[in-house]
Amino acid sequence: MRITVDEARCEGYGFCAEAAPHLLELDDEGDLKVLSEEVAPGDAANAEAAVRVCPVAALRLEP
Amino acid sequence: MTGGIGTGGDIVVVGGSVAAVTAADALRQHGHEGSITVVGEERHAPYVRPPLSKGMLKGTETPESVFISPLRADIDFRTGSRAVGLDRARRRVLLDGGEELPYDGLVVASGARARRLRPYDPQAGDAGELVVRDLDDAVRLRAIFAEAASLIVVGGGFLGMEIASTARGLGLDVTVVDQDPPLVRQFGAFLAEHMTRAALDEGVRLVRAPGGVELPGDGRPTAVRTSEGELLEADVVVSAVGDLPNVEWLADAGLGGPAGLLVDERCRVAPGIVAAGDVVARVSERTGRPRRSPHWGSAIAQARAAAMALLMGDEAPAYRPSPYYWTEQWGLDIKVCGEIMPGSTLNILTGSLEERSALIQWTRDGAPVAAATVNHRTPLAKLRKIATTP
Repeated sequence: MRITVDEARCEGYGFCAEAAPHLLELDDEGDLKVLSEEVAPGDAANAEAAVRVCPVAALRLEP
Repeated sequence: MTGGIGTGGDIVVVGGSVAAVTAADALRQHGHEGSITVVGEERHAPYVRPPLSKGMLKGTETPESVFISPLRADIDFRTGSRAVGLDRARRRVLLDGGEELPYDGLVVASGARARRLRPYDPQAGDAGELVVRDLDDAVRLRAIFAEAASLIVVGGGFLGMEIASTARGLGLDVTVVDQDPPLVRQFGAFLAEHMTRAALDEGVRLVRAPGGVELPGDGRPTAVRTSEGELLEADVVVSAVGDLPNVEWLADAGLGGPAGLLVDERCRVAPGIVAAGDVVARVSERTGRPRRSPHWGSAIAQARAAAMALLMGDEAPAYRPSPYYWTEQWGLDIKVCGEIMPGSTLNILTGSLEERSALIQWTRDGAPVAAATVNHRTPLAKLRKIATTP
């Protein structure tokens, strides 16, 4: 499973980083960094929750 | 209220938006193994509302782009299904088709609907009054904007001003009518005045109607009459006059009221019943009165707290509100943490409003109460810290 961000849509709200801090973080400029595109099976639930709290639907999970 | 229901029972979630989706996710994350059935009133799968008054309405984003990534396969999601009643004694949610859903635990996330100026019967549908709340509203208004030259927005809050900004960007002649000066309640006087100036610079007309307005005629409104007797006309009139909590289906169960559905510090309503999102009211520590916080961030935080409280009862952590909300209008992207209370002092920490990029902190009696960024990307954690740390 891979997590990807549509940078054109991302507004830096930060909900995803709060939901899955070891996969996603806002850097010092407030831009979203994907720390690990590959999502380990144990992280799948957190990744799914992170993707679904984005207020502009900027994140996607691919199988 | 003490114990939770544990991780094995059947849970029904009433609602189909972000609070419902987040609650369902959180239940699974916290080990719930029983069934989860999510009952959404709309015919659509869950989607995000913030773009509806912005990119979606403008046409730079497609309706397809707003959908939330599908729920897990082990969650039963039903669209187009409305809860019409609750039988607490038998623990059943009653649906509009006559079906009854039994539950061991219930999450109420039935949300809110747009308030209207004209009499409105949700079952009979609207009488032409235009609002922006649901995806269908935004799709319809986008088509209407394409054939219109002028717009009146009733309501100068976030939603009203966002609609005005989007329409102005599409070249419509735009008037905003409100009882109060726009955005003062949300932003305080100083920042509100700056935003108002930005709107005026874009050629928007602002009309003050202290005594309120009505929409004369039937069908789709094309005029607004102020209580002072002024008649304003336009091709399109949109109402953005707040929202009302969807609590009517709970009335016979003795729950909820005009202020919303009251919850405790763990988002619990009654044994086996929790709530999250726009429907929720909490007693404000500051004013002692019940108050809703119908924002995206509140819905998520409440949904997580509610899910944990449903499973774990008193063992679950209490919900600590940490307000976070935003708006985009007139080329200004503003994010706010905290509460800009009346009587607070604004300090610009970085940049300036004239340069259209700033980091702002509000203090009250010397203590920070809120912080905001204006076109100034800042990590959320940092913004929260500025809102709370001297």
